[in-house]
Formats: sequence, C-alpha cells, structure tokens
Amino acid sequence: MSASDSGIGVTPRWIYALQVASVGVMWVFVIGISGWILHLNRLSHRLQDVPSATVAISIVAIPVFLTGASVLTYVFVGLQRGRRTPGPEPEGEA
Amino acid sequence: MSDQAQDRDRPTQGLDAVDVSDLLRSVEGPGTGFRVASTLLILVILGGWVIFGRQLLYGLGVTGLNQPVAWGFYIVNFVFFIGISHAGTLISAILRLSNAEWRRPITRMAEVITVVVLAIGGFHPVLDLGRPDRMLNIFSAGRLQSPLLWDVSSITAYFMASTVYLYIPLIPDIALLRDRGAKPQWLYKFMAWGWQDTPRQRHVLERAVSILMVLVIPIAVSVHTVISYIFAMTLQPGWHSTIFGPYFVVGAIFSGIAALLVVMIVLRKIFRLERYLKEIHFDHLSKLLLIMALLWFYFTFSEYLTAFFGNEPSEMGVFYYKLTGPYWPWFWGMVACNFLIPVAILSFKRTRRVPGILVASIAVVIGMWLERLNIVVPSLANPRLPYPAGFYVPSLVEWAMFAGGIATFILGFVLFARFFPLISIWELKEGREEAVRETMKRVESYLPDPAPRES
Amino acid sequence: MARWGMTIDLDRCTGCGNCMAACHQENNLTAVGPEETRENRAFHWLRVLREVDGEAPNQKVTYKPVLCVQCDDPPCVRVCPVHATYRNEEGIVGQVYSRCIGCRYCMAACPYNAKVFNWFEPEWPGDLVKKANPDVSLRPKGVVEKCTFCHHRVVRAREQAAADGRELRDGDVTTACAESCPAKAIVFGDLDDPDSRVSRLARSPRAYRPHADLGTRPKVIYLAEQE
Repeated sequence: MSASDSGIGVTPRWIYALQVASVGVMWVFVIGISGWILHLNRLSHRLQDVPSATVAISIVAIPVFLTGASVLTYVFVGLQRGRRTPGPEPEGEA
Repeated sequence: MSDQAQDRDRPTQGLDAVDVSDLLRSVEGPGTGFRVASTLLILVILGGWVIFGRQLLYGLGVTGLNQPVAWGFYIVNFVFFIGISHAGTLISAILRLSNAEWRRPITRMAEVITVVVLAIGGFHPVLDLGRPDRMLNIFSAGRLQSPLLWDVSSITAYFMASTVYLYIPLIPDIALLRDRGAKPQWLYKFMAWGWQDTPRQRHVLERAVSILMVLVIPIAVSVHTVISYIFAMTLQPGWHSTIFGPYFVVGAIFSGIAALLVVMIVLRKIFRLERYLKEIHFDHLSKLLLIMALLWFYFTFSEYLTAFFGNEPSEMGVFYYKLTGPYWPWFWGMVACNFLIPVAILSFKRTRRVPGILVASIAVVIGMWLERLNIVVPSLANPRLPYPAGFYVPSLVEWAMFAGGIATFILGFVLFARFFPLISIWELKEGREEAVRETMKRVESYLPDPAPRES
Repeated sequence: MARWGMTIDLDRCTGCGNCMAACHQENNLTAVGPEETRENRAFHWLRVLREVDGEAPNQKVTYKPVLCVQCDDPPCVRVCPVHATYRNEEGIVGQVYSRCIGCRYCMAACPYNAKVFNWFEPEWPGDLVKKANPDVSLRPKGVVEKCTFCHHRVVRAREQAAADGRELRDGDVTTACAESCPAKAIVFGDLDDPDSRVSRLARSPRAYRPHADLGTRPKVIYLAEQE
C-alpha cells in the first residue's frame, strides 16, 4: 500500500503529527479549564464572595480534568512505545 | 490484497473463527439508507434552527415562558437528555467493573449514547439564555459558588471522561478497519494511534480502561446530583429536598437503561445484529430496568409522602397541582409509564421478550421526560402565597428544538454507525478467546477450598 | 452606612395603584401591552395583589403591594452564575444589566417572585422614551431586572446633602412609590437609624416580615392588624 492509497495523499508523517496534535489539544483544553477555575478563585477572593466554596470546588474539579488528560496521554505514549517498529512511519508503507 | 496478509497487524488474526464482517457492513458498504436517513435528520435539525432563529431575533418572548414559569422545555430537556446520558458510561463502567460477561456487545452502544446525548443536553442551557451573546461572561466573571457553574464543570468533566472512555476501547476496532482498508484511510490511520495489538499495547489499553471506568462512575453520579442541586439549592416548594440528588441519579440511570434498550432493539433490527444481541442480553438488561423501576417508585413515594404528610401550604399547592390539578394527566401518566407499565411487563417471563421490553422501555423514556416536566414546571407555577399561580404552554419554537434534539440524537447514531462498528469487536473476540477460561477460573475460586488433609 | 428599608401599612392601603404607575414612570419600565399581559408577562417591579377572604356578601378584600423585599441574605445573589446580581453595602439588591446572561436562575430561586425578565426588546409607546427618567438606564432585551429601592434617588440625596455640608437626614430620600401613595401607607428610610420613621414603624406590634421563616431577612416590612 502506498501513501497515495490513503485518498488525499496524507503521509504517515502528517498522520503522526495530527496524532500528537490531538493529544496536545486535549492538554490545551484541560489546562484552559484549570486556568479558568483558578481565575474564578481569584475573582471570588477579590470580591470576598465565599472564596472557601470556590477553593473546595476547585480542589475536586481540577484533578479530575488532569487525570482525564493524563490517561489519554498515557495511552498515546504507551501505544507508541508498544509498537513493533517505533517511530512515525507505520511499517509496510512506501 | 494477498501480500498484505503476512504484513498484517494482528487484530485480523483469529477473527476468522468469529466472522464479524456483518458488523462492519455499515462502515464498508453504507447503503442509500444512510444517505436518506442523514439527509432527513439534517433537514429536521436545520428546520429546528430556522424556527429557533425567531428566538435569536426577537428574544425569549417567542417561547411559552412567562412570569412565574421562567423555565420550561429547554430546562426540562436539559435534565432529560443529561439523564439519558447516564445510560452509557455509567452502565458500561459498572458492568465492566463487575466483570459481567454479557456486557461485551452492549458497552459500545451505551457509550455512544452518553457522548451524543451529553452534547445535546449540555447545549440546552445555552438555548435557554436570554443573552446567548454574553455566554462568555461565565468564563470572565463566573461564580463557582452558583449551582449552574457546578453543572458547567461537572458536565464538561463528564463529557471529557466519557469521550475518552468511548475512544480508548474503540482503538483496536479502528485499527481493524484501517487494516481492512476502509475509507477514508487517513481517518482510520489517524485515529488508530498506531495500534498493532502487541502485548504491551494491550496492557496499556486495559490499564487505561480500568482507570477510566473507576474515574467515570463518580463523575457520572456527580453530574446528575449537581443537576438536581440546581433545583434543590433553592428554597422553592417541591424543589428544596435532600433526596433530590439520589432521586435524580436513580431516574437518570433508569431512563438511561430504557434508552439503551430502545437503541439496542432498533439497531438490532436495522443492522441485523440478532447474532450478537441475543434474548439473554435483553433479559439481563430488562431485569436491571425492572429493579430501577421499583427504586424509582420508592424514591417518588418518599418524596411525595413527606410533602403530603407535612401539609405545608406552599408544598401542598405544588402537590395538588400535580396530583389533581392541571398537571394530573402528566403526573399520573408519569406513574403509569415509569412504574405500572414496566413492572407489569417485565415481571413476567412470558412478556419479558423483545417486543414487551421495547414497549416498556419506550414507556420509561416518555415517563422520565414527564417526570422532568413534573419537577420543573409545577414548582415554578405555584409560588408561595400571596403570589398568583401561573401556567405554561410551550410554543412552536420549543417543540421544534425538542424535535431537533431528538433528530440530533438519531443523527449521532447514524454517523457513528457509518464510521465505526456499533459492537466492540475486539472485546467480543477477547470474550471468545479468554473470558470463558477466566470465568471458569473465577467460578472455581468462589468454591470452597479442599478440606485440609492433616490436622 | 445606612441600611435602607421600607414599611407598607396594609391597613392604610386602598389598592389605588398609584405606586405601580409612579414606579413605571420613575424607573422607565417598558409597557408590554394587553396581549403580553394575558400571557402572564405583565411587567412590574411593584405589583398590588388583591387578596379575597371569605364568601360574598361577607367578603373581606385586602390589597398588598409587593416588590423586591431587598433581602439581607438574598437567595437570588447566591445562585447567580456571573455576579450579575449583588447586595450592596447599604443592603440594596442590585442587578448589573450589562452582565446578566438571562439564565433566569435568580427568578426561579426568588421566593418573592420579585424579578422580571425582558422577554422582548423593551418598548415605550409614543414619545414615552423621550420622557424617560435620565437617572435610570434603559434595559436591553433578554436580561432580568428588579426594584432598586430607587437607588438613584439615594445617590442624588447623598450628593445634595454633601453639597449642603451635612449628613443625610431621615426624610431626605424617599422612593417613587412612597412619594406617590395618597394614603401614606409606604414609608422609606434607614433601618439602622433607631429614630427614623421606618425604624419606629418596624418596631410596631403590627409589623411582620414576609416569609420571615425562610431566613432571607427581608427589609420590606408589612404593617397589619393581626387577627
């Protein structure tokens, strides 16, 4: 099978870049959410609007998001390391 | 294609014993049915949005909402759709965690329900906003102390976790499609993440799934608990109740199982999956549904009896509004759909067959929607004295968006079936290759140890 | 710092509705028209409710002006997702029209039904908009609004007092509804000042606070002969 078989000529290198990017997007999302929650903490502190509740919710929420992204990354890294032929090029490709 | 065989990744090996090509039929040879169905559904959805345009243009006045009844269909459907989402991930996680072997052909569909319905349900509060253009204020000036923000974070977490939980067990099946040369190739290559079914990859995948199923259960429980808190945290009669959290979670799982059964029966018919989804699967799942029906009744009974016995005037206003007032058809319809019909059908082996289960499941889905209606509207329509009571009649816009929501749900399944197998093929294979041995070993380990020979 | 409150003497109220009209004019409330009113979207910050007790001919009819009771512990402020409603340091519960996202959670949470929502773009028939009170902003569609205890009058009175080089006195500020009441049933003032009229009335044995059992600590106090 050659790269041209893949329809619109997406090379394995491109696919690998896309895969890395998808994990990256997940991290951008998770870090964004965490940053947002921290921003709300600062806001509630500044306005003295029940900061304790905000802190309590953040302590629960942020680790959940981080765990989700970590599991996804773990799978991605694990799958790459577990290949029979490591590297971006799937074997058997021209 | 013969030269590929030697170079082929492992997933195709050993599958000859279980011929699964019929599971891939919808992906490899989508018929006109796919095109017709998706076109029709997209038309319904577009129609809904066109009608919804009136609301964007003129404001929320085009809905049936009014002074005391400030929340209506949008919030009802929000709670309803999010409730359905508990089908999936929660049931699939619990079944996986408890090593229920019959789960194998079911989990994938359950997980798809969750992701699709969460996206629909999570969007409903946005439809309900008077100023959707200011939605980003939640990010710049949000208050995490507000139950609405608990929802935002909880639903986001659930959506993230359930998407990952759908995707990770999908990887080996995507790799299978990649190896069979399914089009578009680049999509399957990209999504397969380099899966070659090596022992190490398998180990990674299984560990990730076990972490996720433990993670997903508390998140799923939190989601519907927090949704109930939107209501329970106010002081309003009929809402301010301590059992609302568990009551909503029970209702969510209940409606989720019912929706899952409907989806299974319909897809079984369309894609001829009788070989995989057998009577025994429906029998097991409908027994779960029966248990949830009894549990739902217990919660409802407790909730209404405490209101009735306490006899507080404001509570009684809401109580009688539902039982004998304008909402009596919806209240008693809910009791019939959620309790009488499913219990009558599912209690007897003779009626606990696919047609009966379909009737019971549809009844439960309708009944649980009615329950959400019965929770949201009557409490708002009956404020404390001396404030006058209100009424609520949904408008065309709200009905159109309801239809659009259901169409989006079906479209989600149509699209998923077009690109991915609806039944987890590698898990079926694993069941055939390993689970029989494992289960036997497990059963043996339950048996008493041999008596000690010497004293 | 003052803590603004109001007493409404139900034994004096005749149900004439002057307060509603004055409130509309003072605060630039939109006129929604009969059609919307039939759909339960009448738009008032202050409403006069009619309570009928007993059967004709021995009927007793009482009128009760209801408005935001300016809770000291407001349930609406607790639930707002975006800091759009708040309690200021003088105890007045305000609404930030430019920040409100229109989720209506505060309306659902308010036990007093005090908040109103702009279901459509607000309209002022004829040249009413030209006669709008310049001290009060006009609201856009899709936001929640509520009684402000004529906060703009408080601000203006304080400025006047400062210009005169004196402290704010009882009677310097009054709300539009209190001003317009021909029966003088409504009294506005500082509840923290023990000598103010409103404080003295609030200590009357006839005084009760609406739904005091909810713990919201309302600052609108009704006066009525208890039976």
